Amino acid sequence: MRFTGLLFKSVARVGLTGLLVSILSACSGGAGQETEENPDLAAPAGSSQSLVLNGPAALTTDVQGFRVNLWENIAPDNRCGQCHGSSGQSPSFARNDDINLAYEQVNPIVDLNQPSQSRMVSKVGGGHNCWLDSDQACADILATWISNWAGDSAGTSNAVELRAPTLRDPGASKSFPSDPGVFASTVHPLLLAYCSNCHTDTAANPQSPFFAVSDVIAAYAAARSKIEIDDPPNSRLVVRLGGEFHNCWTDCNSNASEMLAAIETFVASIPETAVDPDFVTSRSLTLLDGIVASGGGRVDTNVIALYQFKTLSGSIAYDTSGVEPSLDLSFSGDVSWIGGWGINIGDNGKAQGLTSTSKKLHDLITSTGEYSLEAWIASANVTQEEARIVSYSGGNMTRNFTLGQTLYNYDFLARSSTTDGNGDPAISTPDADEVLQATLQHVVATFDPTNGRQLYVNGSLIDVRDGAGGTLNDWDDTFAFALGNEVSGDRLWRGLFKLVAIHNRVLTPGQVLQNFDAGVGERFFFLFGISHLINVPEAYIVFEVSQFDSYSYLFSQPYFISLTSPVTFQGIALRGMRIGINGREPEVGQAYSKLDITLDDSLYSAGTGQPLSAIGTILGIEKGADSDEFFLTFEQLGTHSNVRVEAVPDPLPTSPDGDALPDIGIKKFDEINASMSSITGVPTSNLDVLGTFLTVRQQLPVTANIEGFLSSQQMGVTQLAIEYCSSLVEDPVLRGNLFPAFDFNAVPVSAFDTAGRDALLIPLMDVVLGVNLGSQPDRNQTRTELESLITNFASSGTTAERTRTIVKATCAAVLGGAAMLIQ
Amino acid sequence: MPNLGSIKLAMGNEMREVVMYILVGSIAIVAALLFCVTADAGSREQAQRIHNRIAGVSPLAVRLDEMAALIQTGSGTEEENAQAAAFIAMQHPDFYRTTLKNFSTPWTNRDQDVFAALNDYSATVIGMVRDDVDFREILTGDIVYLAPNVAVPGYSTSDNRHYEELEQQGLDLASVLVRSDQSSLTGVPPEATAGVITTRAGARAFFIAGTNRAMFRFTLLNHLCMDLEEVKDITRAPDRIRQDVTRSPGGDSRLFRNNCIGCHSGMDPMTQAFAYYNFEYDPDNDPEGNSGQLVYNRSGTVDVFTGTRVVKKYHHNQNNFPTGYVTVNDNWDNYWREGRNQRIGWDSTLTGSGTGAKSMGRELANSQAFAACQVTKVFREVCLRDPVDAADRSKIDSMVSSFSNSGFKLKQPFAESAAYCRGG
Repeated sequence: MRFTGLLFKSVARVGLTGLLVSILSACSGGAGQETEENPDLAAPAGSSQSLVLNGPAALTTDVQGFRVNLWENIAPDNRCGQCHGSSGQSPSFARNDDINLAYEQVNPIVDLNQPSQSRMVSKVGGGHNCWLDSDQACADILATWISNWAGDSAGTSNAVELRAPTLRDPGASKSFPSDPGVFASTVHPLLLAYCSNCHTDTAANPQSPFFAVSDVIAAYAAARSKIEIDDPPNSRLVVRLGGEFHNCWTDCNSNASEMLAAIETFVASIPETAVDPDFVTSRSLTLLDGIVASGGGRVDTNVIALYQFKTLSGSIAYDTSGVEPSLDLSFSGDVSWIGGWGINIGDNGKAQGLTSTSKKLHDLITSTGEYSLEAWIASANVTQEEARIVSYSGGNMTRNFTLGQTLYNYDFLARSSTTDGNGDPAISTPDADEVLQATLQHVVATFDPTNGRQLYVNGSLIDVRDGAGGTLNDWDDTFAFALGNEVSGDRLWRGLFKLVAIHNRVLTPGQVLQNFDAGVGERFFFLFGISHLINVPEAYIVFEVSQFDSYSYLFSQPYFISLTSPVTFQGIALRGMRIGINGREPEVGQAYSKLDITLDDSLYSAGTGQPLSAIGTILGIEKGADSDEFFLTFEQLGTHSNVRVEAVPDPLPTSPDGDALPDIGIKKFDEINASMSSITGVPTSNLDVLGTFLTVRQQLPVTANIEGFLSSQQMGVTQLAIEYCSSLVEDPVLRGNLFPAFDFNAVPVSAFDTAGRDALLIPLMDVVLGVNLGSQPDRNQTRTELESLITNFASSGTTAERTRTIVKATCAAVLGGAAMLIQ
Repeated sequence: MPNLGSIKLAMGNEMREVVMYILVGSIAIVAALLFCVTADAGSREQAQRIHNRIAGVSPLAVRLDEMAALIQTGSGTEEENAQAAAFIAMQHPDFYRTTLKNFSTPWTNRDQDVFAALNDYSATVIGMVRDDVDFREILTGDIVYLAPNVAVPGYSTSDNRHYEELEQQGLDLASVLVRSDQSSLTGVPPEATAGVITTRAGARAFFIAGTNRAMFRFTLLNHLCMDLEEVKDITRAPDRIRQDVTRSPGGDSRLFRNNCIGCHSGMDPMTQAFAYYNFEYDPDNDPEGNSGQLVYNRSGTVDVFTGTRVVKKYHHNQNNFPTGYVTVNDNWDNYWREGRNQRIGWDSTLTGSGTGAKSMGRELANSQAFAACQVTKVFREVCLRDPVDAADRSKIDSMVSSFSNSGFKLKQPFAESAAYCRGG
């Protein structure tokens, strides 16, 4: 019989506390006994030793499923079988004398509906004899094996059983201080003195957590989860001694009291966070109070390598697919862990597996002839080119497959009988679509002989044409698998990995969408109690919460619910809801401060409550995910109110006086053109003028700032002036209007006699310099200059054409000068 | 340039002499002018400057005499007489064809290119000034100016040839421009028109591609004289920030919480007013949108992608943050009525929320910042510099008052600025 469903979950989580005690008691000795013997798990994973199953055959297919998927992986004596075998400690789920008895023993400690929530998983994840360096990796692998056993029933339920959390007022609980100073003088000395034989990383048989190391910061980080600052007597450090008689150094009761006194002294030094007494607040929660949301829904049936990056320390990303051999990836260069599970690839970063373990990709994929490469990633930018995100290759020019980035595009190179050894021609997402964004995205690249290569981003198939896929006969089994770079190290990709999975089957579009919808990372439900504010029993506002990245939480889609059913309520006003952290309201990210809604049972359903908002928001992590305390505040909830009125901002200070600026400026391009047209009478639409103007337009001044005037601009002005003057002189009507007394048909000698010069220069200066204007250049000086120019030019040439040319030059000399240009 | 060529052929080295003469002469004359401006300017000099600043060209002799006489012997105060002279200068065609065209052209494109062609946006500004239309209508009115009675291609919703030809012919825009209703030309219903926001040129510049946020940003920039950096306020509620804004750029959510949220929290709920607008064009064959046109989803229209009247671009990149805001209508809200951006001076007689571009344009156009921005732009245009000291700031304040109290006619600050900077 298989224990599934919600009934099992509640039983499993509540009832196993007692079972845990018995397990722990069995593992440890009584008062004064010696330290428990640790199993030898040094043998490499997967090298199962003499696994022989005796006894009767499996009675049911489910027992057989347990045997194949879980028992055969845990029963070897380099894993659980060393202690939990036929004659070992209870529960004897790894016994080899009767698989049916082992099945009975394992059922209470597995949750086939939510494998990751199985007691077996949390026990090992909490530091119980993991066979790897990472407890989390062992836990994930166990969860995978249990999932495989559960088959389709695992994780498909999205139903979440909401349970009432412990009710606390915000601020009444304390938070661990970031400074370990008081811890160093209270609890740490006891740990150093009495626990360092085992609970250090340098012990002969190291026992995690390593809270007894001499590095107080590391010890503090490890001990925090074993100290209940709101309830010191219930701290594991105390309970293990007083209640479970775990390696006491003298008398267990007195040792427990000594430890309790130290913890109480430490806790007493932590100030409570003050909450504004005017706030209307919900009850408070920490992340530990959150109910784990179903992380299921993923399709991992044919996963052969899986990276969830939960370890958060060390330099290895463990393959938690449970498929041997584990293709663990070693970090080199700048690779760092990020909060909320993941790794960040920085300078020269790379996470690469051995060629020997990478070979399993070759073996398992070539056996099916198809595969899917799946990743949750966030590119650091959209400027990187030829960057390798996921690569199974031998260098820059030879590979089995690679997912890469070029600007806004994902590239997929997949070697087959229809490509060259580099997987070319590659397929890429279309340039114009800018599919790749520098944010978290779900990317799946698939290959199969029929459809060739396909790319999915965020669940949607990208329209990229590809031919038939061919075969994988040419794949090379000497290549290595790497993330964030080419194996040769010269194609760095900067960005985040939150999950990578390799499947040796093609994910169907529905399965891709399912994995996209399943999301990535751990999610919780927070139930903020508000029954003390409204007359509704067991009333809560529920948020889905996750650690968004290293710096923020994501709160999303709140709804109101009562755990009592049926329930009636009408017309409860809820307005201006804010999320509080550690006793105060963060200023940034309050997406629900505009909320204005009425709680009413007409809008309520027993299963899903009453939705408050479909919006999500991110709030900054303050003390850390294990320390921050959350609560809600309301401007109004029912009859309680605390209306916020924002202060009127102070007026901006008066700007200091700037430096004095020129009182004059220069004309701009169109003004110059208009001025020349106005002065000469030549219309701006004159084709010669228009042509020149369009040629020099962008060379002319665009601002009036005289301090920015350039010689190149003057050259443009000059060209235009010459064109205008030329058009003026060549047009008998226009020149007659402006210079009625000047003889344009005379030769220079006669044309530029005294009368002729008056006939030319006086009207010219009148229109350009103006009359009786003290702000314009001195007319006499200007005339002297122009006379000199005319004399010089008129000394040669004997034709009327020469005369007109001299007029053009004289005109341009005035028109193109500052008298026109300055305003 | 045949004429220029003939000069070159005829004069050779002498041509270079002319050019050098102009260059040297210019420098000498500038020096002379710099000396001159330190001396007290008389009425003629003041009239000359006012005309140059207003119309961009020197006055004809007769007009100079008229203005100078008015300044010297007018019936008002010295300031009022100078303003009256400025109003005379505003009768010159180049006040419209040159000054106002160049004044408004940078507002009509993203590059703030002063060389852009005349278009229905800039022509509407010119016409509104000429007709003393309440300038707030620039963001609200069912208004556009065109020239239906001259021999140029007719107004088109899908090209700009009408205005380009008007400019090329150098026509007197003050004479040829005629006011019309946008709604009668573009098919956008009257209640969905919003002044220059819904002109073709405005749409081509700021509704093209993207997410329509550009229209808000550039309207803010051009008509409230503020870029987003100045109005950034990270304390506003982020509940209306759309899904396309990643909350963790490059994997670092601090960037969002400290930067992105500052603009988007206020901008996105305002930009929702444009949710039914798009500029449709052929990005492959006409990437600049020269033949594109403004499209508005009328009541009853359903966008296939969004399932509502909201245009597709509002649901662009919806998986960047799936629990971001999903736009379902064109309701807008001004979150900047609280917090530090109260300083913008919102009109307390308005509600700070509404539906569609017209009412959102009214929200912007009735702010104190709008009036101050228009006046300050005019001051820069006429005085050829920024206001720098207490006297300048005081003048700006008084011009804002008179602009607001006299029906928001833009000629008024032109006249007052010209009088203030007349010299003397």
